[in-house]
Amino acid sequence: MSTALESYARILIRYDLVGAAEVREIKATAKDSTLQEIMQCVIDGDSDAIGSLVKNALKTMDPMKVINEALIKGMGEVSRLWAEGTYYLPQVMVASDAMLEGIDLCEARLGKKMEKKGVVVTHTAEGDIHDLGQKIVNALLRANGYEVVDLGKDVPVDDVVAAVKKYEPLMVTGTALMTTTMTAFEKISNRLSAANINIPFVCGGGAVSNEYVTSYKYGVFGKDAQQAPQMVTDISDGASWQDLRERYNN
Amino acid sequence: MHTMTSRERFMAALNGQSVDRLPVISVCQHATYDQMEQLNSAWPDAFHDAKLMAKLASGGQSILGFDAVRVPFCQTHEAEAFGAVLKYGGKLGLPSVDIHPYHIGDTIDFPADFLSKGRIPALLEAIRILKRDVGDQVIVMGGIIGAFSIASLLFGVTDYLKASFKKPSDLVPYIELCERAGTTLAKAMIEAGADVIVVEDMVASMDMISPKIYRTLAWEYEKDQVEALSVPTIIHICGKTDPIIVDIAKTGCAAISVETTVNIPKALENLQSEGLTTPLIGGVDPVKTLFTGQPEDVKYEVRNAIAEGLSMISPGCSVPPATRTANLRAMVDTAKEYQA
Repeated sequence: MSTALESYARILIRYDLVGAAEVREIKATAKDSTLQEIMQCVIDGDSDAIGSLVKNALKTMDPMKVINEALIKGMGEVSRLWAEGTYYLPQVMVASDAMLEGIDLCEARLGKKMEKKGVVVTHTAEGDIHDLGQKIVNALLRANGYEVVDLGKDVPVDDVVAAVKKYEPLMVTGTALMTTTMTAFEKISNRLSAANINIPFVCGGGAVSNEYVTSYKYGVFGKDAQQAPQMVTDISDGASWQDLRERYNN
Repeated sequence: MHTMTSRERFMAALNGQSVDRLPVISVCQHATYDQMEQLNSAWPDAFHDAKLMAKLASGGQSILGFDAVRVPFCQTHEAEAFGAVLKYGGKLGLPSVDIHPYHIGDTIDFPADFLSKGRIPALLEAIRILKRDVGDQVIVMGGIIGAFSIASLLFGVTDYLKASFKKPSDLVPYIELCERAGTTLAKAMIEAGADVIVVEDMVASMDMISPKIYRTLAWEYEKDQVEALSVPTIIHICGKTDPIIVDIAKTGCAAISVETTVNIPKALENLQSEGLTTPLIGGVDPVKTLFTGQPEDVKYEVRNAIAEGLSMISPGCSVPPATRTANLRAMVDTAKEYQA
């Protein structure tokens, strides 16, 4: 009896979700109920349910369709809810986990990594082990279809420069929470300049300010993590580091 | 009005009484390289040695002219006592937690000899020295870390924040344990001579969690702490605390330390509408103004802070150690322009 009630309740919930744009201020809708459910899992950060839903969907659907029309779309909705202040950081983190889990399954089915829009190298400043900000930047960039080379925390200046040479990214980012560590950014800037590598170096985090970041070559101040995807999209469209400063730092 | 002593001024401001001018303090750490050089007491030694720690903290009074001094400089004493492994930053940087000692789900016992762990004995001794040497002139503040924030250091902030959203009840026993740690340390600080306790609950920031999570997992423990302590307690939370400012006040704390991102007139209005008179402390942006700005920028912010109704002037968060003395002194100089 209880089982029947539960499944009845589930039907109601599912029905409610299909095309239900206004539920909980969620505006995005997917094209069918399977995709809608997966999208909803990302929006809810439900890593427990997303695996079986994606596997199910992949029995009949193209993996790229699941990625683009459910997983990435759901994360886009999460970003929007965060930007408008409805969502807070923990929700973004669990949503990103759910999305990445889904993408992994889809890529396994594809037999290869999904095609990325471009590469971004990210790091947390040498001496700084507070990498939360960087992790959020990574999650948002991945959610927007970029490949992230995550150098991690407390990364020596040399390693950042070497990674830029190796991966030739669209942009490189640095985050610093502690003001004692931010001087590493100037050193990176100098080294890139000496090597004639012209690349936007987007820096953010509690320790740095617009004034500081725009005081060295290539430096673009990232006020918050949400700006990262738009910045790299601008770069794809041809924007230089000077253009980014003009757009974001004035 | 007669010129008040620093102690009189600070206490009057906390109690909402009239002052000759606003007190100038730093709720969070205020050591700088300038002071280290002048006082011949530098990091990393001053993190371990009580005499050096007290000497460096006393620069808040002797060099900066603040109405209060505080220890410690970092935010790691409680976590270290629980077994966290620290990474030191040499002469230039603060220690941070490098290896988080536990996973969520582990059983954690309260360290029996908590007050003798790590650098806590040195910290308590530094308070005794400060009380003896400058305690008749300025307020001596002892800084502890809020329970919600200590717990994040035990597990690492990423897993911790995810759990705070997905399974908050899993975290409750740990946060209770951390509340006990903070309160135990604060009581020992009071016994050592601390006039005021500052609770830094940096992870309870709206940059990290939602108001709902704050109310579920941080508020109650801040309140318990405030109630358990016999001296005034200042609560500091980083970032835009506008949505929870009334909640923080309802812990019963003596004052709230805010960053410059908080809308002060609106916050005061919200407090007032709830019948709360909790003073707000802050007004100066530590990175943009103190660290990268000029004395004139500092003066501008302080004047603005006074006009907006702050009760004490302070950097909104920890002072970057490379901050120039002239910028910190400008805080005091500007407050003095208003001397009655």
